[in-house]
Amino acid sequence: MSYEEKENIVNIFSSLFISIGYAIIIYQKHLQGQFDLTTDFSTWGIIFLIFMGVSIVARIIIYIIFHIINTIATGKEEKEVSDERGKLIKLKATRNTYYAFSAGIMLAIIALAIGMPVYGIFIAFIVSSVISELIDNGSQIYYNRKGV
Amino acid sequence: MAKSFIQNSIRRLRFNADEMTQQQLADEIGVSRQTIVAIEKGNYSPSLVLAFRIAHIFNTPLEEVFSYDPEDDISKI
Repeated sequence: MSYEEKENIVNIFSSLFISIGYAIIIYQKHLQGQFDLTTDFSTWGIIFLIFMGVSIVARIIIYIIFHIINTIATGKEEKEVSDERGKLIKLKATRNTYYAFSAGIMLAIIALAIGMPVYGIFIAFIVSSVISELIDNGSQIYYNRKGV
Repeated sequence: MAKSFIQNSIRRLRFNADEMTQQQLADEIGVSRQTIVAIEKGNYSPSLVLAFRIAHIFNTPLEEVFSYDPEDDISKI
């Protein structure tokens, strides 16, 4: 398995771990009555901003740990080589990401139009961003293995 | 993913060049080993620049490294 594939697999699991973990914490706070996510929309903004910060920091830490473990396991320091094929793979994966995210937003708007609660659109934002990220990493693994 | 209709003889050329490894070739032309693997398997058609670089490494004409069979090219008009 190439370094890029391993990195993508780590990204998939870290994305799931961070997102689900953060969602559980926020939902617990909502249940405890610290804030009401069904009506307090400014709280959603704060939740998003904190999530971005937490996600970036957690990913950096996970990436460093992955790199150290990979170096110990393989006995050599592997680094990502960016070449034309790698760039094409990333480009196609990004395209798929945008398709998935756009579909998520479209579904959220449709849900809003048919009378779903407004906070549903924020949930749709988070879910579609997580799914699109999984599709990004999944696409990269697929194109790496099957060809581009 | 459909196989490329561009065939290549990189494996044979590497063998003739003192059994050059994929990693050595990759380092010479500045790509990853996975890219060499993909080109050899026909899973990736390299750019013209990369194709010329490969030919240059083996000191051989481009046509000897890559060959095109129009019969297999279903995308041609």
